[in-house]
Amino acid sequence: MVISLLNRRSLQVALCLGLSGLTLARAQFPGGPPAPPKTAKAAAVYDLTGYWVSVVTEDWRFRMVMPPKGDYTGVFLNAEGRKIADGWDPAKDEAAGDRCKSYGAPILMSLPGRLHITWQDDETLKIESDAGQQTRLLHFKSAEEPGPSWQGFSKAMWELVPTGRGAPPVGSLKIVTTHLKPGYFRKNGVPYSANTTLTEYLDRVDEANGTAYLVVTTTVEDPVYLGRPFETATHYRKQLDARGWNPTPCSAK
Amino acid sequence: MKRFMYSFLLVGALGWGQGLDFSGHTNLPAGIDISGTWYPQPFQDSGLITASGALVEFGGIPMNEAGRLYALAWSSSRIQGRQHQCMGYTVPYTYNQPGNLRFWEERDPYTQRLAAIKQYWQISEGTRTIWMDDRAHPPAYAQHTWSGFSTGKYEGNNLTVYTTHLKRGWIRANGIPQSDEATVTEHFIKHGDRITYFAVVNDPVYLAEPFSRAYTLGRNEKEPDAWLYACDDGEQILGRREDQVDSYFWGQHPFLREFANKEHIPLLATLGGPETMYPEFPAKYNDPQAMEAEAKKELTPAQGPEHPNRAADPNPHDGEIHVLPVQGNVFMLVGDGGNIAVQVGDEAPLVVNTGAGQLADKVIAAIRKLTDKPIQFIVNTNFAVDFTGGNLKLRAAGHDPSLEGSFFSGQFADAGRSATIIAHQNVQNHMLALKAPNDSIPTDTFFQGRRRKFHNGEAVEMFYEPNAITDGDSIVHFRRSDVIAAGDIFSTTSYPRIDLKNGGSIQGEIQALDNILDRTVYQHDEEGGTLIIPGHGRLCDEWEVAEYRDMLVIVKDRIQNLIKSGATLEQVKAARVTADYDDRFGATSGAWTTDLFVEAVYTSLKSPPKSGAGN
Repeated sequence: MVISLLNRRSLQVALCLGLSGLTLARAQFPGGPPAPPKTAKAAAVYDLTGYWVSVVTEDWRFRMVMPPKGDYTGVFLNAEGRKIADGWDPAKDEAAGDRCKSYGAPILMSLPGRLHITWQDDETLKIESDAGQQTRLLHFKSAEEPGPSWQGFSKAMWELVPTGRGAPPVGSLKIVTTHLKPGYFRKNGVPYSANTTLTEYLDRVDEANGTAYLVVTTTVEDPVYLGRPFETATHYRKQLDARGWNPTPCSAK
Repeated sequence: MKRFMYSFLLVGALGWGQGLDFSGHTNLPAGIDISGTWYPQPFQDSGLITASGALVEFGGIPMNEAGRLYALAWSSSRIQGRQHQCMGYTVPYTYNQPGNLRFWEERDPYTQRLAAIKQYWQISEGTRTIWMDDRAHPPAYAQHTWSGFSTGKYEGNNLTVYTTHLKRGWIRANGIPQSDEATVTEHFIKHGDRITYFAVVNDPVYLAEPFSRAYTLGRNEKEPDAWLYACDDGEQILGRREDQVDSYFWGQHPFLREFANKEHIPLLATLGGPETMYPEFPAKYNDPQAMEAEAKKELTPAQGPEHPNRAADPNPHDGEIHVLPVQGNVFMLVGDGGNIAVQVGDEAPLVVNTGAGQLADKVIAAIRKLTDKPIQFIVNTNFAVDFTGGNLKLRAAGHDPSLEGSFFSGQFADAGRSATIIAHQNVQNHMLALKAPNDSIPTDTFFQGRRRKFHNGEAVEMFYEPNAITDGDSIVHFRRSDVIAAGDIFSTTSYPRIDLKNGGSIQGEIQALDNILDRTVYQHDEEGGTLIIPGHGRLCDEWEVAEYRDMLVIVKDRIQNLIKSGATLEQVKAARVTADYDDRFGATSGAWTTDLFVEAVYTSLKSPPKSGAGN
């Protein structure tokens, strides 16, 4: 009945003003000055901190054993990418000091190993891996973008799904990583370039028996070596403590 | 101005009601509605090809001993078997198939509340319903299906689905089984036009630890043309027996090392098991000799006691009789020993078996809720007390109007004043020998292979199955309802209780299962169609009878081969010839143990039944 009273113009105007008003209302209601915006840590939709162990049931043949040179099954490599993969020489990488070429952000979360996740500060989530002893910093607030590195520069945000009033926020942790040094996203030399953009979603799911899993969804977009983005999902299980934490240096072999 | 105010208030209220959060988070516009058409992304595990993988490519699957032995015994020729050609897919396996998926919502037309999320899978043409209305899961004695029974709820940003009542399926179609006892928890997490699908399988029969796995699904940019997957079975190898079931005995898989050698992987790594999932496993590669020695041990069952089965007991054991509508005119009554089948219709009820008799009054009461007519016929498929224990009371509660007033009335004063009990003559013989109460003994017996009736508007056929569990077994086929009451010949809870002393044999048991399969049809992809009421356990369809038959053929062949090589009974038992099935059907205590079953098979092979059953 109310809808029938509206004409299109008033609806458009109302939409703008209504949403603005809503923001004000949410910020000011029930009164007092606006609350300061929550920090990323305070706004976390779930707790990712602690130790997590990788459960390697996906792409086992590429992750738990060294796949043969030239095996890039499932990866839409272009001719340039295939050329690099076919010429992979781990000894050469070792000699060049590039032992960590297969420990960069696009592969790190799929390596067999454990993660230790902590808040470095209210706006920076830190992920340490025992495999290759790497550290990723996920920045929720703008920070100075560094030069290229194995882990690149990661911007993070809580990507939320609308919920009912009063319900806790739900969603995923979205991470976009750039500024990567060229590396391999499979141990056997399947390459990504410095122009790669890595998009990840981290989701925590809790089973009825109390087991918590961290599901990592990864998209590697590389205009240099890939004909289409490479998308996978891997997962970790929450540990109660640091059991099994075994820092090991990078190895090209 | 008034219109403007209304619209302001309206939109503001709508926004407030939705609880939209503008505190700096990035908001998705469309919740977690997963409706649309999707496809499994081709990047991950693409080398597995239709999720099957190579033979003996089991790395990363946390199988227990039974699972590993099942997979190592599995011959890929089994997929040529008639009942296996059109096998459907279970979850989570189905989301790794290279076909299209359609998801849609079903809403109550009046309240618009979400009632269910439906899914259609191109491969196997499976349709799945995820109930979103908080309904309870069916009882344990209800039928299992490829898609199982699923209930869902939104948790955080994902749709969480819990599934029970699955048929035996694949974790990987290279022999890695997922048992019919498995339950699956799934999470559909939407990220824009992608779904991350994460599933956790708990299988007490074949897994040592939960099997968890993530996949990604992509949204089809346009409606795909391909939605069908036609499948019709047929014999593919002329002259082969329908009950030929190829398998490999322990350590004799001819392609055991093929994948390992091709990929330069230690054999142990290809055999799976929980440790192959974890980061510590690659450290083992440093000691190839130790790995090889360990691998060789895993090819055969560990020495030690047999395993009891880990399957949940489908019998409610609550002192009540539970009624399950089967299809057509037929109901299954559960709760008092062996299952009871009841056919109702315009005429009076026909009951197949009467249970153990402990709850006979409740059985009668349950039947009276189905029809107000007294029981006219009782058919006993076997003389065991689990199936005839209620004869006395159910007979007395019945009435056979076809006899009352007939010439029998002149000979017997009580003719027709109770139900008529029908069975093969040997059932009567055994009950007389056991001195069962006179009124519990079948009076209408048959000798021939097929006894038939037309009752309650359909043909009812009783087929004698010689030397199966005993020498007096029958199955009963309700033709229009398309239900077979299999009696003790088929069970979902144990190995068949072959009663050697009373004429049972493994040969006759397998033949009886073959005979059931000769009369069944499936509706679609080895599901539906003819339903089978087992003597004990849950309602089934033909595929599960075939699985049971296949298991018995495999065990029989193993024992037969050991006998040929001169093995004694003790040596056969020590070889643990049932190790891949014990966790599902075995028993280490009670009246029917795995040992007794193996002994029964061994003895019937050494001394085949004189009737020639199964030859």
